[in-house]
Amino acid sequence: MNLSHFWILIASLFLGQLLLLLILAWRKQRSNKREAAINGQYDALTDSFSSYMMDPSDERFIEELKASPYHLVVLERLLNHYVSVTKGGADSPAVSRLSEEFLSKRYMKLLKRGNWAMRMNTLYFIEDFRMESLVPQLKEKLAKSSRLDQETQQLIRTLASLNETVAIEALAKYPDAPARLYIDVFKRLDELTKLDELNAALNEENNNQTLKHSAVSYIGMAGMTLFLPRVEEELQNPEMEMRIQALKAILHLQYMNSPSALAPFFESTAWPERMFAAQIAGKLQLSRYKEMLSELLGDPVWWVRYSSAEALTQFSEGDIVLTHLAESHPDRYARDMANQWKTSLLGSEQ
Amino acid sequence: MQEVALILSYIVIAYMLFSSLSYLGLFALAYGKVKKENKLDKRESTEDFLRNQSTYPVSILVPAYNEEVGVVSTVRSLLALEYPEKEIIVIDDGSKDSTSLRMIEEFKMKKIPFAVRTHIETAEVEAIYQSSIFPYIRLIKKANGGKADALNAGVNLSSFPYFCAIDGDSILENDGLLKCMKPIIESDGQIIVTGGSVRIANGSTISRSKVEIVGLPKSPIVLMQIVEYFRAFLIGRLALSHLNILLIVSGAFGVFNKERVIQAGGYNKNTVGEDMELVVRLHRLLREEKSKQRIEYIPDPVCWTEAPESLEVLRSQRIRWQRGLLETLWNHRKMMLNPKYGSIGLFSMPYFLFVELLGAVFEFIGYFIIFGGFFFSLVDPQVAGVMFLVTVFYGSLISALAVLLEELTLHKYPKVSHLMRLYFWALTEAFWYRPLMVLWRVRGIIATFQKKAHWGDMKRKGIST
Repeated sequence: MNLSHFWILIASLFLGQLLLLLILAWRKQRSNKREAAINGQYDALTDSFSSYMMDPSDERFIEELKASPYHLVVLERLLNHYVSVTKGGADSPAVSRLSEEFLSKRYMKLLKRGNWAMRMNTLYFIEDFRMESLVPQLKEKLAKSSRLDQETQQLIRTLASLNETVAIEALAKYPDAPARLYIDVFKRLDELTKLDELNAALNEENNNQTLKHSAVSYIGMAGMTLFLPRVEEELQNPEMEMRIQALKAILHLQYMNSPSALAPFFESTAWPERMFAAQIAGKLQLSRYKEMLSELLGDPVWWVRYSSAEALTQFSEGDIVLTHLAESHPDRYARDMANQWKTSLLGSEQ
Repeated sequence: MQEVALILSYIVIAYMLFSSLSYLGLFALAYGKVKKENKLDKRESTEDFLRNQSTYPVSILVPAYNEEVGVVSTVRSLLALEYPEKEIIVIDDGSKDSTSLRMIEEFKMKKIPFAVRTHIETAEVEAIYQSSIFPYIRLIKKANGGKADALNAGVNLSSFPYFCAIDGDSILENDGLLKCMKPIIESDGQIIVTGGSVRIANGSTISRSKVEIVGLPKSPIVLMQIVEYFRAFLIGRLALSHLNILLIVSGAFGVFNKERVIQAGGYNKNTVGEDMELVVRLHRLLREEKSKQRIEYIPDPVCWTEAPESLEVLRSQRIRWQRGLLETLWNHRKMMLNPKYGSIGLFSMPYFLFVELLGAVFEFIGYFIIFGGFFFSLVDPQVAGVMFLVTVFYGSLISALAVLLEELTLHKYPKVSHLMRLYFWALTEAFWYRPLMVLWRVRGIIATFQKKAHWGDMKRKGIST
């Protein structure tokens, strides 16, 4: 290759780039225009949309919407904004009605043929707008999926939001399905279905340990005191992970029927059990364990020392106890920790 | 002499063509992933994590040295971050200005006793302060020990299992942290580090610690740095991350699994490239353990930072970066071409050595040959001409392509005029900006053998208006 070949090569690369630049500039201008038009229509329709949501007999919005060249995108954005800012917006019959009438055909197509990002967006919107008419398509799609990838995970969440228990059955097909996904499903089911599914999980009807851990964990997060006796039973479970989940749930529930069940955990060989026991004793102000907490302040594990000191601050005379321990505890690290906590630090954003 | 010059010319031409093709190959690898996620509704895909109790809490570490101008706006932008549970720890590494004072006054901070766990040894911690308005904001005032030492002190004080390291002069987009944590949560801890994109804030309108309007600066030096960031992040890091062989997570913004960082020994105080060095050490740890955990670069979460506007500061920054690169490669030379470290040892380390580090040396020789060929008959002018064209291809056309690829995939700059300006400035790169970079990078290699570690001497104007 000589110099002229290189010239030709560089010139053609440059010209190729110029062409691409022009195409991209044209595309950008077009998409900017389109975006501006959509935003304009969104603003123009906001008032009539608000009126319609308050009084669905006001048909002005429907007429204006139909006249808009970008009516599907505009409606999608209006509904999406409405459900994200309005409490209970997702359960509004008007949202369902509008989305079913205008968006279901488009979503049906997108679920089958759209690219990955479009399919994911569609699943999010079906969940947000509670579009029940698409359940058969979603179930069909779930039956065909063989990997628990991001799309299948969202598909399961979307089905759960439509109160379909098939979501739990589908997750059970994957032995590695993480607890957070089961929790996502519990969160989305309606109250009655949720109670049934939690009961079934606690009774180990499905022989699925991850499901049971998730159920106990969810009960704590959701503050379902109804299940407290069942959770307390799990403190006797031979499996450590299950006991830890039960302790965590009790900490969230902030109540115990039999606080004496906590005693063995202060002497557990597993530090997370000692830590949660200390946290529960503090949160529930179980003064019978105050001495135990003073001892745990000298625990070899930092987290246990930290939790014990934090727990002591929960008691009415916690400051006095901590001041005393900051001076007299035989362990240097325990004294440091007591010193830190006597000023009642909060430690993090709650 | 002429024969040696001719052989060198062929080597440099072959090198530049090879490097250019490797850039293109790397981008082709990453293109699919960027394109795939391009139309994803980012808000929808992260909003669930905002209310989710399984979203891990994060400690945000802000090392600061003489950052009195920017530190408060950085912390304010962090306060506005959408994240369920976080703590913010600013580490004043013995600043000579009023960094601590600004923090103490602005956030009404009080000195507190704190039982710090010393996972990693650091220079003396003089005091710990806590905000009485936002109890989850803390300030560590410590003796000067360098950025790595400051970050280590932050790791020691942090309470949460993940930490986010962010520069004291940067502004993180509201959902940036959530987007960075999303892959970590979704992988159930299999991803131990995520790095986000860093963008240059000069020229954009920032108010109340938020980027309101994305714009371009007037200064050509800053414009060229924007192009350079496209080239580095879009062409390099994406593909390397895709192959799990990414060796750099920018010090300006990254999220780390704290336990893993402590296992690896924390940030290395003896290098100026502590961000890259830590990532290489984590890779080393993972490979030695035969772990399947990963380190990922996420193109979308954006951290805005102030770029140097003067040549003097830019020079010092580039010398420091090059030094950091060489020190890291030297410290971990055991991994180079070592099959025990898999693709990191066999591909990534040699790539960083030959393309990122020695690239400057090859280009330097290239410019020398062009100059010598045209003016002193060092080589046949025909060969010098080919060298010139290849240099333009390597320096300008690849950068211009990076601008086009950014527009094709992420298109963060909103106006057509932005695209045009960036493209045409990118074309000028080989004629003025690149020779300067090459010179400073070669100087950086030499500096490795001369100087001690220090913080960069950035003159801050502050990016918030």
